[in-house]
Order: sequence, then structure tokens, then C-alpha cells
Amino acid sequence: MSNDLIGKWELSRRRVLGTAAGLGLAGLSGAAFGQQSGPLSVAPKSKVDRLNFVVWTYGDIYTRIAKQFETDWGVKVDSTISSFNDHPTKLATMFAAGEKIDVSQSSPFSFPNFVNQGLAEPIDDLPGAADYIKDFTPFTKQVATIKGKTMGLPYFSAVWVWNYYADMLEKLKIDKPFASYDEFIEHCVKAKKDGVSRYPILWIAGVGLEQLPGTWYQMTWNKGGAFFDKQGNHMLGAGSVARETLKWWANTFEKGLDIADPESLKVQFTSGAKAFGAGKNLYRGPNHHYGLNICNDPAQSPIAGKVKVHGSPGEGKTIGVTHVYFLSSANRDKEWAWKLLQYLGGRTKDGNYTQAVSLAKDAMLGSGYLSVMNSDAVKLGWAPWGDVPAILKIWDQAAYIGEVCSSVYQPWHFPWTDQLNIEVQKCLTGQITADQCCDNLIKGIADAKRKV
Amino acid sequence: MRASHFAFFMNLPTLLCLGLVLAYPIGYAAYLSVHRVGLAQLRRGEFPFNGWENYGRVLEDPLFWVALKNTLVFTFITVSSEIVLAVLIALLINQSSIWTSRVTRFLILLPYAIPPIANGLIWAFLYSFQFGFLNRILFTAGLIDNPINWAGNPDTALYAVTVPYVWRTLPFAIILVHAALQGIPRELYEQSAIDGANAWHRFWHITLPMLRQIIAIILILRTAFAFAVFEEILAITQGGPGDATWVAAWYSYKITFAPPNNFGMGSASAYILALMIGAIALVYMRFVYRRVTL
Repeated sequence: MSNDLIGKWELSRRRVLGTAAGLGLAGLSGAAFGQQSGPLSVAPKSKVDRLNFVVWTYGDIYTRIAKQFETDWGVKVDSTISSFNDHPTKLATMFAAGEKIDVSQSSPFSFPNFVNQGLAEPIDDLPGAADYIKDFTPFTKQVATIKGKTMGLPYFSAVWVWNYYADMLEKLKIDKPFASYDEFIEHCVKAKKDGVSRYPILWIAGVGLEQLPGTWYQMTWNKGGAFFDKQGNHMLGAGSVARETLKWWANTFEKGLDIADPESLKVQFTSGAKAFGAGKNLYRGPNHHYGLNICNDPAQSPIAGKVKVHGSPGEGKTIGVTHVYFLSSANRDKEWAWKLLQYLGGRTKDGNYTQAVSLAKDAMLGSGYLSVMNSDAVKLGWAPWGDVPAILKIWDQAAYIGEVCSSVYQPWHFPWTDQLNIEVQKCLTGQITADQCCDNLIKGIADAKRKV
Repeated sequence: MRASHFAFFMNLPTLLCLGLVLAYPIGYAAYLSVHRVGLAQLRRGEFPFNGWENYGRVLEDPLFWVALKNTLVFTFITVSSEIVLAVLIALLINQSSIWTSRVTRFLILLPYAIPPIANGLIWAFLYSFQFGFLNRILFTAGLIDNPINWAGNPDTALYAVTVPYVWRTLPFAIILVHAALQGIPRELYEQSAIDGANAWHRFWHITLPMLRQIIAIILILRTAFAFAVFEEILAITQGGPGDATWVAAWYSYKITFAPPNNFGMGSASAYILALMIGAIALVYMRFVYRRVTL
């Protein structure tokens, strides 16, 4: 019992420290929630007739926050909203065409590129920025800080978890989900052999910046490996953890054990959650934690309430990520753009982290702020969809994706990831071996650097 | 005013419009293709000249050659399918004695009215591995025991994308062939019938030669469009699995609009593609498009 308590205390130590930091911040700046602080409630001296942001779609959050901004400040906010995959293209073309862009957003994978090309402005010296920076989670600090300057505010954070379909596990007379990769294979083979599931595992292996790559990064990290060392040298050579992980992973597909759902090669995080909700697979993952709000939503999933979250084998090491909003260098008025940026990625006029809190409550997204992560917005907001303590326990074991694959900080990461998606899919479909795949990727690093 | 001058002035507005809408972007793309152009350069309007470097980088990129090979396979399959099917279907709906041909003529246009991206999405759902309508039909009909991964298998993905593309673009070819068929003088068929020619002879010696010019036009247009196929790729496979459905236009798009947004290299790849299409059009004109003499 006491050991359990100590264990729990150790596991949540980071959160406790985070809370302390958050409280300290509250003492310094007024309060984390619900109070007006000076600069937030003061309008910039300059005049603008409108502002705009360029973002990727997520429910109606942008309509709501734009409306709130207009109500609070009397300035109309135009929004340009595209899909996640189309966002970099939309932003790039608008920027190139000389259009005004006050605020935009980025995944951590595109962000160094955007900064490198001059799309974003540093925010360190802007009023109230220091308070935000103090409240940043470690993930946020790593994403938002580029060359020593703070280049953005957090949109949301996520960690990679596994999901399992509890009823199917029970049907297989297996009392608990896998604790090792060997056990994972045993469960899947049994599910297939017993006719309970033709394809027991649904991987997230669709083309993307963090979908297919994220699955490989996560399992490699969990097994004790990485993709680049601190000096930036690749770790994909013969015998490397990444290479052996890929061999193991590819073996679950058609040319090997044939336990992987062929849809794996197409699904993204949300579409994967929807597909898993059909109840045909035993396991899904590793992938962003918030898919539970689809799998366990009765309106979207016939197996709602039966999908559980599960940590990773061994020490449970996993990865996490934070996406950011940034102040565009193509803004029409820096002070007003900063005001708008805070509505999206910081506090609103009333002093609340309005956007971050509603994202946690409505969409099960994590926050890039310590104070929000430690608030009831997360503890109560996530509860309808999943086991919150279990997810937060996984959260504490997560490292930022940049620690696993430090190339995310480099502008050439994006073209290299394009190649990674191609080569790994070729490997998973049996067109090339894992050795050939990794050799090609090693060669591709130099090619990607030339493309930048 | 002389007739030639009058004709020139009458054509001037069209010439100006074409110059602005077509010639300027083509010229600008040529300019970009020999300069270093990223987002920052576009914003500043300063493009450092880099000669043929962009072309060299495209040509030494193995992915470009994979994309080109896929494009050639895609184009050959789709264009040849369209020509054969268009002639067959146009011959059928040209039978005025069959009243349903009038209904068919109308219905055949429907796929052409569907936006390409919507067409791609419809077929993406049809092809879905576990939940797709196509596998469901085949399974129900007893033709397959297990679902087929049409768009997710590297061996079938490229062929899978050709079907929705042909489905969407075929009406255009049918309309052209049908119009050409209506222009063939009936007397030719009547005279050949008197001479004892059967249906096959009439098709081979009258219909096909009379369709040669329109077939050449369809070949040129459809080849150019097939070389630039994009929407179905975007909606159904996004180039995957692996590089199985990377085509030339997808390559240019990714190079240009995905970070690091190399507009110069993207323009160079598009220019290489345009030059290839031009060369193929010349071949068609030389070997297919001939004046018909009877």
C-alpha cells in the first residue's frame, strides 16, 4: 500500500512540481484563472478595423473565440480555416502572395521551417509574455523556443497511448492487456486464431508528419532507442533500436504475421479512432490520447465505453507533442495581433485560458500550460471518455518527440519525413526490407538537407 | 480597312485575355524555375538567379523518376481505355433507332458534372477495405472470399486510381466521338452496304478513318490532362502506399507547397512535365492527325 503511494507520488512528481510552478505564477501575476490582469484588459493604442487568423479546422472553436474577441474589443476577426494537411499550403500561399496574416498556427514539424522562412515573430518582449513562458509545460518550451527565442503560444498537447477493446479482450479470456511486445503478439495471434478478430491491431500508419512517423518514433523510444543523438547523428544503422523496431513492426503486416489491419496504412488519428469504434480490432495505437473521445462517444461509436487506455510496455516510456499558435510577421498591427494571439493560445480579457480550457473539456486535448493541465478542466473534463489518472500517469512518462527525433528542430525534417512516409510504407507492405528502408533514410538525410 | 487588319483587331481581345491568363503564368513559371524561390524570397520579391540548378535537382531526384514512371503508366491506361470505351459507347448511343439511346446520352454526362475532388472522395469510400461498397458487392456476389485492399496495396493502388479517373472523364471523349459520328455522311454507309460491306468492314474502312482527327484531338487533350492528374490522387491515396501512386503533378505540388516550399524546383518539375506533354502532342499530330481523303 505504502509502496503504491510512493509510486504514485513519484509518478506524479512532475505534476506536483508543475502545480507549484503554476501556483507561483498565480501569486506573481494575479491568478491563473478568472481574474483580470493589467495588460489583458487594456486595448492597444493603435486602431485596426479588422484582424485575421489562418488555422486548421477544429469544430467550432474558432467561430466562438472570434466572436468573443469581437465582443470584447469591437474588432472584427476574419478566419481562414483549412484542413490540417492543407494548412501549411494555405499559409504558405497567403504569405507568399503578400496577404496580411495576424496569427497562425503550426505543428512542431513545420514550425522550424516557418520560423526559418521568416513567417513568425518572437514574442518574448511583448506584455505578459513572460508570465505565459513561466506557465509553459516542458513540451511547450521545447516546441516554442527556437534559437533561444519564444516563437509561439501553445495550441494543445497530446501524448501517445495504446487503446484496447475491453469486451474483445474478455472474450479471449485474457485478463489484462499486454505488458510486453511478445505478449502483444500472443494476444493478437490468439485473437486471429480464435476468429475473434481478423485483424487484431489497427496501427496509425497513414501518411503524415506524426501519424506513421509517430508510431515508429514511439515504439523506438519505448524500446530505449532514438533516431538522432544529441549531436544530430542518425541512429538508424545496422542493429539500431529503430531498425529492429521497424523489422518487428513490419512483421505484423500481410507479409509476416498478417495481424495488422490493412486500413492502418491510411488512417490518421481521428479516422483511426472512428475505425476502431467499429469494434473489429483488439488493439489500436500507439497514438494521440484524445481519440478516446471518439471511441467512447455513443454518438460516434457502437462500442462506446468499452475502449480503454493502456500504457506502453517496460518502463512505459512514451512521447508527446505540442502544437502552437504564432504571431505572423505579416501582421497588420503587432499589438493587436498579440492580443488576438493571446485569445487563441493564451488568456482572454477576463484572464482565463478560455481556449485551452474549452479544448480540454470539449475535445479531450491536453494543454501546453501547467496551470491548465493541473486544473479541473482536465480532471473533470476528460472523465466522460477515459481513465484520467491512467492518462496522466502516461503523461508523466512522456518525452517530447524532439528528444526521440531531434531533426524536428531542423528545416530539413519536413522533406525527410516525406521520404520516411514513403520508405516505411514500402517496408510495411513488403516492397523493401527494414534494412533497405533504413539505409534509404540514412541516404535521404543528405538529400533532404539539400532541398532546404 | 483590309480584311486581315479587321481580323487582327477582332482577335485582339481574345489574344490579350489568353496572354494574361495563360502566357503570363507560363512565362512567370519559367522565370521562377531558374531562380531560387522560397516563401521568404516570394514575400520580398527578390529571387536569386540559379541557372539550371532547379532542373538538375529535379532530374537527380529518384522520386521524380518514380512519379514520372507512374504518370506514364497511368496515362497509357486511362487514355487508351477512354478512346476504346468512348468509341464503343458513342457507337451505341448513335443508334437513333433505339429510343433509350436518347436517355443514355443525357445520363452519360452525369459523371462529367461531378467535381474531381468529390469523385475522388466517393471512390475512396467505395474502395474502403473493410467497409467499402465495392468489396461488399463482390463478397455478396460470391466473387471474393476476403476483402481486397484496392487502394492500399502497392500492386493495385495505381490501377485502382485509374478507374475513377476514367469514370469521370470518359463522357468528354464520348461527346466528341458522338459528334464526329454524326458528321459522317450516311451515303457512305449506304454505298458500302450496296457493295456488300458488313458491319465490321464499315467500321474499319469508314467510321474509324473518319474518326481519326477527333481521336487525335482526344489523345492530345486527354494525355495532357492525364499527365496532370491530381485530385483523385489527393482524395484516394495521397501518393501512397509508399510511392506507388506518386505522379508528376503530385510531385510538383509537394515540392512547391509543402515546407520547405521550393517554388523554383516545383516550377522546374512542372516545366519538365509540360515539355513532355508538348513532345507527345507533336507525336500524335505527326502520326495520328491526318487529313481524311476518301
